[in-house]
Amino acid sequence: MPQNEHIELHRKRHGYRLDHHEKKRKKESREVHERAHKAHKMIGLKAKLYHKQRHAEKIQMKKTIKMHEQRKSKQKDDDKTPEGAVPAYLLDREGQSRAKVLSNMIKQKRKEKAGKWEVPLPKVRAQGETEVLKVVRTGKRQKKAWKRMVTKVCFVGDGFTRKPPKYERFIRPMGLRFKKAHVTHPELKATFCLPILGVKKNPSSPLYTTLGVITKGTVIEVNVSELGLVTQGGKVIWGKYAQVTNNPENDGCINAVLLV
Amino acid sequence: MALYNFKKIMVVPTAKEFIDITLSKTQRKTPTVVHKHYQIHRIRHFYMRKVKFTQQNYHDRLAQILADFPKLDDIHPFYADLMNVLYDKDHYKLALGQINIAKNLIDNVAKDYVRLMKYGDSLYRCKQLKRAALGRMCTVMKRQKQSLEYLEQVRQHLSRLPTIDPNTRTLLLCGYPNVGKSSFINKVTRADVEVQPYAFTTKSLFVGHMDYKYLRWQVVDTPGILDHPLEERNTIEMQAITALAHLRSAVLYVMDASEQCGHTLEQQLALFNNIRPLFANKPLIVVANKSDVKKISELSEENQKIFAEISAEGIPVIETSTLTEEGVMQVKTEACDKLLTHRVDTKMKGKKVHDVLNRLHLAVPAKRDEKERPPFIPEGAVLRRKAMEVDSPKRKLVQYWDLMNDEEKQDKIPEVWEGHNIADYIDPDIMKHLEDLEKEEDLKEKAGEYDSDSESEDEEMKEIRQLAKQIRDKRKLKVLESIEKDVHGPRMPRTSKKVHRIWSMWYKRRLLHYAEKARRSRSVDRKRKREPSEPPTSRTRSQSASRPPRDKSGVRDAKMLKKVKTMMKNSQKGMNRQGKKGESDRHIVDLKPKHLLAGKRKSGTNSRR
Repeated sequence: MPQNEHIELHRKRHGYRLDHHEKKRKKESREVHERAHKAHKMIGLKAKLYHKQRHAEKIQMKKTIKMHEQRKSKQKDDDKTPEGAVPAYLLDREGQSRAKVLSNMIKQKRKEKAGKWEVPLPKVRAQGETEVLKVVRTGKRQKKAWKRMVTKVCFVGDGFTRKPPKYERFIRPMGLRFKKAHVTHPELKATFCLPILGVKKNPSSPLYTTLGVITKGTVIEVNVSELGLVTQGGKVIWGKYAQVTNNPENDGCINAVLLV
Repeated sequence: MALYNFKKIMVVPTAKEFIDITLSKTQRKTPTVVHKHYQIHRIRHFYMRKVKFTQQNYHDRLAQILADFPKLDDIHPFYADLMNVLYDKDHYKLALGQINIAKNLIDNVAKDYVRLMKYGDSLYRCKQLKRAALGRMCTVMKRQKQSLEYLEQVRQHLSRLPTIDPNTRTLLLCGYPNVGKSSFINKVTRADVEVQPYAFTTKSLFVGHMDYKYLRWQVVDTPGILDHPLEERNTIEMQAITALAHLRSAVLYVMDASEQCGHTLEQQLALFNNIRPLFANKPLIVVANKSDVKKISELSEENQKIFAEISAEGIPVIETSTLTEEGVMQVKTEACDKLLTHRVDTKMKGKKVHDVLNRLHLAVPAKRDEKERPPFIPEGAVLRRKAMEVDSPKRKLVQYWDLMNDEEKQDKIPEVWEGHNIADYIDPDIMKHLEDLEKEEDLKEKAGEYDSDSESEDEEMKEIRQLAKQIRDKRKLKVLESIEKDVHGPRMPRTSKKVHRIWSMWYKRRLLHYAEKARRSRSVDRKRKREPSEPPTSRTRSQSASRPPRDKSGVRDAKMLKKVKTMMKNSQKGMNRQGKKGESDRHIVDLKPKHLLAGKRKSGTNSRR
């Protein structure tokens, strides 16, 4: 025992108080009541957080209890019924399964007909010009209103240089320029932070595509050399399309799903 | 640099707690109300403030943790090595590094989102950005869960390490397990180290303190060391090795002469030779413990040769027994002396000494002439000293004394007993005086001096006496009763009477004056009224002196007086503490205290202020 564990040393030498164990037992049993009392009395935000946490705990407790109970009860063993021997009341079901298979095939064919662009977000809310472009007044009397400032996140290429400020009509502020996107691979379920190569199409307007504005539903091209994908011919894939799934101007980051 | 107070390190919260604390702090300490119709800059400022506040809190706490934990490069190598042994230097540095990275990441997140918020044009957008920022920061903290847990455990263990000062005088005990190191330290200091028959009872370093030559000494007890190469040593042994390597101390290598520890003397000698390099530049003593079981002289030839070899190299071998305590003090004094001389030597060889030596100058008085001037000792002192000597001739006569108990002849007679001076009570003629006194007493008794008069009294006298006693008792009762009766009613205080007297005197004089005037005007012969004679001033003063002072009147005795005084003081305590003038002072200094009337109306407190 280390030198300054005084409590433990005293306990070792002199033992516990005569009523120690009883006191401990009673305190522990009182704890339950005190906890319930606290849970009743709490109000406000603290209460919400506490109740949420407590609810999660209780769910876990119930699950474990159920698990323990399950072991006690008997379970039906499905393996006992031999393959092929179908009881009478199930004879009709075969037809249904066939029907299911057929309907699946029909769905598949429909999808193939629909088009090559099968994207995770087929429909997106259209963003109007007033929403995306803000009017910037210029001129001696601040009357001229031909300049616009982009209020959404945008992408400008590597070699981008602004036009002379007197002539630029669309201002893309530096604070809203992003170079990287968090891209999720739908099958691997893994997310990578990949550099953006360019904006392919913005569903709201071709103007936004040329400007490079990224909103929800925009299809962007990302650099996937990190993933190490290879074509059948042996060539390395280094660019793929991804569709943006969040509102980047609200979240401060671009989340996208890779289109495979 | 004296960071040997490891108890001051801030508590490291778990990741979940950390997040909870910071978020709830943000919610409480920043403004909570914002509306859609506010001006956009106000909305932006509101949310930016929250992001920055959270970032600030995280940053401060993490910076505090980083500052509190000792850097292994800055502390004494002994502690650095000890911490390496106990907590693994790499892991420790990594954990702290992760915390540092987390701090920087949080700062960056806050910076980015504050920059983005400048373009927020609606409340919803700003709110979402703030939510994203806080969420990001909390995710960074969630990832630090392992580091925080590890650091908390390190902190707890570190604060419980015994405070060993690496620079002061130290005695280090080492040797095989179960040889008696802990018993030794228990004997010499007040450290209560556990002593048990199984090996490795002591699992960490223990410190005890003792005094010698008016100086404080540290005694460090180590866990036992087994004989294997350095790489194979476990944590417990490594602590002992660390202590040996870094503390500049005197080393006491404890050996078990009786081989009760389970290792033969050859094995102990082998270990001794193995760790010999660690004893370089340190005064060394070999302690042969458990000598009550087996002394060195009782050992076999080869074993005795071992000890002889060691002492031949100049290392003192001292036999001790912690059970019978023989030799323990000797070991202590030798080790301390050796260490002191060693330290002085080192200091002399060092560079610092010259600065001091240059400034020191011992002045010795120079001899004037060749005359001898020895110290003067008066003759009486010399005689007395001789008389106190045990071999003095007086003591030789003791053998002829005739005492009841012959064994008591050599006892020393104390000078003082129970506060009394024994010399006062020694009287050579005491028996003769006692006899004389007894004779006198007999004579007196015979003369009848001690006869009581009760038998010579007759019945009448007895009756009279009884009656007198009754009268006395009754009288006392009556006196008490009359005291309780309040015959006089409310009285004027004594001082007022005095004033009244003086005033009444003055008044009567005025009256007389006017009366005379009136008389003269009316020329009626009136008898002069006799004015009350002016009491002599000496009398008033003596009267007032004979009366008890105000605070002692009505009080029976000193005990009651004391009680009355304490009662008075107690009742005045409350008023005095609050600075009130008296019991009727109801003035309130602060009618609107800030702590009751300021702040947010939190949930649950809306019914009153």
